[in-house]
Amino acid sequence: MIRNSLLALTLCITSSIPAIGENDKILELGRLTYQSCVACHGPDGKGVKAGDLEMAPSLHESAFILGNQPDLLTAIVLKGIIKADNKYVQAMLALEAALNDEQIAALIAYLTSEFGGERRSVKPNAVAKWRKEYAARTSPWKRSDLEEMLREATAPKLLSNVKYSLHYGEWKKLPDFSSLKPAATGELPGNEISLEPAKNHKHGFGMVFDADLTIPESGEYVFSLTSDDGSALIIDGETVVGNDGIHPARTAGMKEALEAGNHTLQVQYFDGGGHRSLSLSVKGPGKLGTFWLSTEREQSKKAAQSYDPIFLTAANPGEAIVHRAFLPDALPRAIGVGYPGAVNLVWDADVLNLAYVYRGEFMDASPHWNGRGSGSTPLGVDRVKIAHGLPFQVLESLDEPWIPFSTTKVKYERDTADPQKEITINVKHPDYQFTGYRLDEKRFPTFLYRYRALTITDAFAPEEIDGVTSIVRTLTTSGDADDNIYFRIAETGPQTKSDDWIDAGGVKVRVSGAEPVTRKVGTGNETLVPISGETTLTITYRWPSPLKP
Amino acid sequence: MTQPCYFLKLAVLHALSLSLPFTISFAEEPKESDYYTITPIQAPDGAVIEGGGIELLPDEKVAVCTRRGQIWVIENAFSTSDQPAKWTLFAEYLHEPLGLAWNDGWLYVVQRPEVTRLRDEDGDGRADLFETVSDGWGISGNYHEYTFGSQFDKEGNLWCALCLTGSFTAEALYRGWILRVSTEGKFTPTASGVRSPGGIGFNAAGDVFYTDNQGAWNGSSSLKWIKPGGFLGNPNGNVYYPFSDGAIGNRPKDPPYTEEGSRTVTERTNIPELIPPAVIFPHQKVGNSPTGVVPDLSEGKFGPFAGQVFVGEQTHSKIHRVFLEQVNGLYQGAIFPFLSGFQSGNIALRLSDGGDLFTSGSNRGWGARGGMLSSFERINWTGKTPFEIHEMRALADGFSLTFTKPIDKSTAVDESFKMEAYTYLYQKAYGSPEVDQVTPMVSVESVSEDGLSLTLKVEPLTKGHVHELHAPGIKSAGDSQSLLHPDAYYTLNEIPN
Repeated sequence: MIRNSLLALTLCITSSIPAIGENDKILELGRLTYQSCVACHGPDGKGVKAGDLEMAPSLHESAFILGNQPDLLTAIVLKGIIKADNKYVQAMLALEAALNDEQIAALIAYLTSEFGGERRSVKPNAVAKWRKEYAARTSPWKRSDLEEMLREATAPKLLSNVKYSLHYGEWKKLPDFSSLKPAATGELPGNEISLEPAKNHKHGFGMVFDADLTIPESGEYVFSLTSDDGSALIIDGETVVGNDGIHPARTAGMKEALEAGNHTLQVQYFDGGGHRSLSLSVKGPGKLGTFWLSTEREQSKKAAQSYDPIFLTAANPGEAIVHRAFLPDALPRAIGVGYPGAVNLVWDADVLNLAYVYRGEFMDASPHWNGRGSGSTPLGVDRVKIAHGLPFQVLESLDEPWIPFSTTKVKYERDTADPQKEITINVKHPDYQFTGYRLDEKRFPTFLYRYRALTITDAFAPEEIDGVTSIVRTLTTSGDADDNIYFRIAETGPQTKSDDWIDAGGVKVRVSGAEPVTRKVGTGNETLVPISGETTLTITYRWPSPLKP
Repeated sequence: MTQPCYFLKLAVLHALSLSLPFTISFAEEPKESDYYTITPIQAPDGAVIEGGGIELLPDEKVAVCTRRGQIWVIENAFSTSDQPAKWTLFAEYLHEPLGLAWNDGWLYVVQRPEVTRLRDEDGDGRADLFETVSDGWGISGNYHEYTFGSQFDKEGNLWCALCLTGSFTAEALYRGWILRVSTEGKFTPTASGVRSPGGIGFNAAGDVFYTDNQGAWNGSSSLKWIKPGGFLGNPNGNVYYPFSDGAIGNRPKDPPYTEEGSRTVTERTNIPELIPPAVIFPHQKVGNSPTGVVPDLSEGKFGPFAGQVFVGEQTHSKIHRVFLEQVNGLYQGAIFPFLSGFQSGNIALRLSDGGDLFTSGSNRGWGARGGMLSSFERINWTGKTPFEIHEMRALADGFSLTFTKPIDKSTAVDESFKMEAYTYLYQKAYGSPEVDQVTPMVSVESVSEDGLSLTLKVEPLTKGHVHELHAPGIKSAGDSQSLLHPDAYYTLNEIPN
C-alpha cells in the first residue's frame, strides 16, 4: 500500500525549472538544510566513519540520488529509515517535523545537484501532498521497502498500446463482449490498465482492455487479478485467470510459463454496482520482481487482509447450529454449537468434552469460508473454560493428577532424512471413542462416545435461571463401570461452594446426580464426581449476571 | 484387466462409425462443444456450491458436499429430466467435506476430521443422526490437512487420501497416508507417500487411484495407482510406520535427500515399495492441479471412451481423459486433453451409468481459469463422435494408437508425428523442470486395414520418461478433419517385452 500511493504520487510531482536567481536561493536553502544531515552523512556526503563502522551511507553512490527519483527522496527525508542491521551505526531519523516543505524541496535539489551530478527538483506543494498522503504512517521505512519502491519505479513497462472499450449494461457475469457494440473506445496513456474512462458512469458497465505485453525473459510469471466485480485475464487468446461473478474485491492468481518476447494481453471487466476496482500485477521469475499493470494497486492487499463477516444463523428460529471447523482454544476436531437465546459452546471431539461456553453472537465463518480457510471465529462475550481436556479418568487415589491430553512424540522430517525436530502430537486416547451426535427436533445435539465399557451421552440446553443466562448439561453413562472412575466437573476459579453453586470463576456450576469432591491441585482446586455404571449428571453453568444487550 | 471393456467399446465404436458420414458435416473447425455439452445446474439463490464430493443416490437423486460444509440433495439433475433442478439442504456446517458415498441407507461423508455417516430418521429431509464411522487419523489444525474420500470399493471399503500438514511435513498421525475404512468403521492403513491429493476414485477395473499435486517429491502432478502396501513417493509421512502395527510392513528406505535429487525410475531399484505415478500430467502443459477421478462405466452412453478414466483439473478448469494399461505389474498410460471451459475449478466428478457426468468445484484459495467462485455442472455427450486418439498403448519398440474414427491412411506418415520424451527430478525441493530430454525418431510401422489403428516405431523408448506425442498431421478419412486434441502424454514406467 505504501509503494502504491507513492507511485500514484509520482504522477503529480513534476520537475520544475526555477527561474535563474531563484535557483541559487533554493540551492542555498538546500545547503543550509543539509547541515541537519552532516553529522552522519558528512559535509562531503561520503558518510562519517565511526571506528570500523559507518554512521550512514555515502550519498554519492545512492541509487535514489543518482537516479531520477525525487519522489522517493522526499519519502525518505520525511519518514526516515529503520535501523535493521549493523551496517550503519544509526537509523535515519524522520525529518517531517523538523523541516518544512520548502526546506525539503530545497534539500532534494541540493543533494541531487551536489552528489548526484544532475539536479532534480520537487515543488514544495508536491512535498506537502506527500506529507498529507502519509500522515498516518508512524514508522520509518524499511530498507527493503525502499529498494522495492526503487525497483518498481525503474522497472520497464510490460504493457504498451493499451486500448480500451467501454460498454454499458447490467450483468451478473462477464458477457461476450465481442458480440457487443462499445459505447466508447480509446487508448490509455501511461501503459497501464485503468477504470478511469468509466469514472463518470455510476454503475453497470464493462470494459475490455487490449494491450501488447512484452515479457523480458522466459519463465514462470504469476499474475494476480483483483476485481470488484468480475474480471478475466486473457493472454495470447487463452484465458489464464478467471475472477468472474459478482463479488467484493477478490484476488485470483495464476502461474503461467511465458516465452520472452511479445504477447497480447486482454483484460475483461464488469461492474454490477456497488464498489468497483480492478488491479493487475505480475511477478516475474528469478529476481525480476513484481510489475503493476494497472493504475490501481491497493485493492489486492485489502482483499487479502480482511473479509466481510459471515454470521452463522440457524435454518429456523429456535433451532441450534452445529458447526464443525477449526476453532480457537480447542483441538482441531472442534464443534461449535449456537443455541437460541444467545448461548453458545464449543465441544471438542478430540477430547470428548466441553471446551468452553460463551454468550452473544455465535460465529463468524468468514475466515473459514474465504481463501484457503483457516477456521471460524467464535464471537460473543464471557467465554469461560470450565474443565479442559479429557472428561474421565480412573483415579486409584485422589492424589493422582488429572491427565488432560493424550499425546506422543514423533520426529518429523523436513528436507532431510535425519530426524530434525521432535514434536508432540495429539493421539486418540485408547480408552475413548467418539461415535457422533444426534440432533433432536430443535437440532440440539447430543454427543455420543464410549469411555472404556461405558457409553456416554452428553447434551446441553439453554435455560434462564432467575433471569440469568445458563446452560444445563445432561451427561449419562451406561454399561459397566470400572472402579474409581471420576468425571471432572470444574477446575477454574476458587471452586468454593455456596448454596450448591461452585464458583468456577466466569460461571457458577451446580451438579446433581453424584456427590462432588473438591481437591487441591497445585495452587488451585478442582471438583470431581465419582461415576458408577448408570449415572445421570445434571450440570448447570450459570453466568453471574444477565447478558448485557 | 481392462480387456472386457475394451472389446465392448470397440463394438460401440463400429456401430457409431457406420452412421458417421450421414450425420456429421462441419462448416467450420470442430470444437469440443460439438461433442460434449456443459450445462450449469442452477443452485438456489445465495447457495455457494463449492463441491468437494458428488454421489448418486437412489431415485435419480444426486448429492453434493461442499467446502462450506453443506450437503445438498438434488432432484431433476439428470439430462433425462425436463424439470428444473430441485435442491434440498440435507446437512450443513460440516468440516470441509471432500467425499460422499452412499451405502445401505446411509450417506457417508468424508470430513477433515472423520468419516461420518448421516441419516434422516424423522423424515423431514434433514439429517439428524451423524455417526462417526472412523476418526483414526490426526489433524494438527492446518488448512492443508484435507481428507479426500472415494466411494465404496467392491469389498465395501471407502478409501481416504490424507494431505500432508503443509507442503513439507506430516505433523499429525497418518498425514500423507492412504487409509481404508469399512462401512462399519474398520480402519486399515493402506499406503504411504502421499503429498497433496486432489481426488480419489477408481478405474474401470475397480483399482484405486488418486491425483497428487506437484511439489516436494512430485516433479509434476500425476495420477497415482494406490497399490496396497505401496509407498507412493513422498517420505514425509513415513514417520508414522511405527504407529501402523505393521499394517503395510516396515518403513521403506528413504529416497535421497540430496540437493541434486534423483529420478523415480532410479529409486524404484533402491526402494522396492516405491510405486511410480501411473500417469504424469506434465505441469502447465496439461494443467496445474488435478482433482477428482472417475471411471467411464456408461458403456458408450458418455461417448466413445468407455472403460477409460476422467480426471478433473482445478486450475485450468478442465477435465482430462486418461487411458490406463498394466505392464509388468504396474499401471501406466496416457493423458489426453478432453474438455475445457468450466465455470470454476473442478474438484468433484461423478459419472452415472446413464452418461451424465457431474462436476463441481471452487476457485477459492487457489485460482481457477473458470473464474467463478463455485460451480455445479453436468456434461453430456451430444452423440457425435469426436475424432480423437482413442488409446495409446506401449509396445516393445514403440506405441500403438487407436482412433475413434478411421484415419485417412495417406496421412499416416512419419511427418504427421512429433515426439519428445523427458522426466522430472525426484527430489525434496518443490516441483522440477523437465529433465533428461530425449527426442526420439518416430516412424509409422503399420496401419490397420480399417484405418482405426496404427503402430509407431519409436527410437529410443526411455523407461520412466513421459513420451509426449503430437500428431498434427493425422486427418480423418472422408471429411479430413484434424484430431480434436492431437496431443498425448504417455508415462512409460515399464517397456513391454
